[in-house]
Amino acid sequence: MAEKAATITLVTCTSCGKPIPPGAEATKFLCPNCGEILIRRCTKCRKFGRQYKCPKCGFIGP
Amino acid sequence: MSLTEKDKEEARKEKFEEETSASAEEELLLPRDTLLSAGIHIGTRMKTKDMEQFIYRVRPDGLFVLDVKKTDERIRVAAKFLARFEPSRIAAAAARLYAQEPVKKFCEAVGATPIVGRFIPGLLSNPLYPNRIEPNVLIVSDPRADSQAVREAASVGVPVVALCSTDNDFSGVDLVIPTNNKGRRALAVIYWLLARQVLREREELPPDKDMPLTIEDFEAKISKEEEES
Repeated sequence: MAEKAATITLVTCTSCGKPIPPGAEATKFLCPNCGEILIRRCTKCRKFGRQYKCPKCGFIGP
Repeated sequence: MSLTEKDKEEARKEKFEEETSASAEEELLLPRDTLLSAGIHIGTRMKTKDMEQFIYRVRPDGLFVLDVKKTDERIRVAAKFLARFEPSRIAAAAARLYAQEPVKKFCEAVGATPIVGRFIPGLLSNPLYPNRIEPNVLIVSDPRADSQAVREAASVGVPVVALCSTDNDFSGVDLVIPTNNKGRRALAVIYWLLARQVLREREELPPDKDMPLTIEDFEAKISKEEEES
């Protein structure tokens, strides 16, 4: 019987769309405007001040 | 179109413009004159690419002026954001002298934790430091002056709300409030507005009522010696 391969789904950065590895200095917070969508920002996007956009309300930050 | 019709059309347009500008003014958290007299729109002679979106115009003397409407919008958004956190898990840092009193009063009003003066390295990130605090959100008065706080917040994954002037960049900041972050009166007005709006969002204050604390209470006091000099 073949073994089932375990898969890990990594969360992605809202700004760049890249997966955020566990333990990275990333942050997550609810959209400041609508408070319904969880915004995740990776270390690099925070450092470079890259924009993020809420997919629900269209709020553009920072 | 006859001349009278043209005149009527123009008058209608003018009326519409007046109405829209009046309604835009009504939408502001404080009257435009109060905001402008406090100087919350005054930037610096330096401009960063990040802050370009919040700049309204350049004065002939080279000073960049911020858009008051955008400041107003961001105060509302920031208040909504802060109201979702437990009051004791909000921290506000102020290294700048003129920001210390407003931050103390803001924390008193909303129940947050003030970090005034020198930010002790490790206050957020060193687990061995006995007085370490673990906030869920951090407010900084100037990302450059409070750079240690921003760096530590980034390392522990705490979102940062920052008051940014035209010369600040967005490094490590998650939500920007574009404003003059150097003026005594401007800082008092911004923190007062933010405190009032947070209380309104929490429904601890009716939408048409003000706090018992006034803007003057939020203002940093100048000693007589400083005033004379």
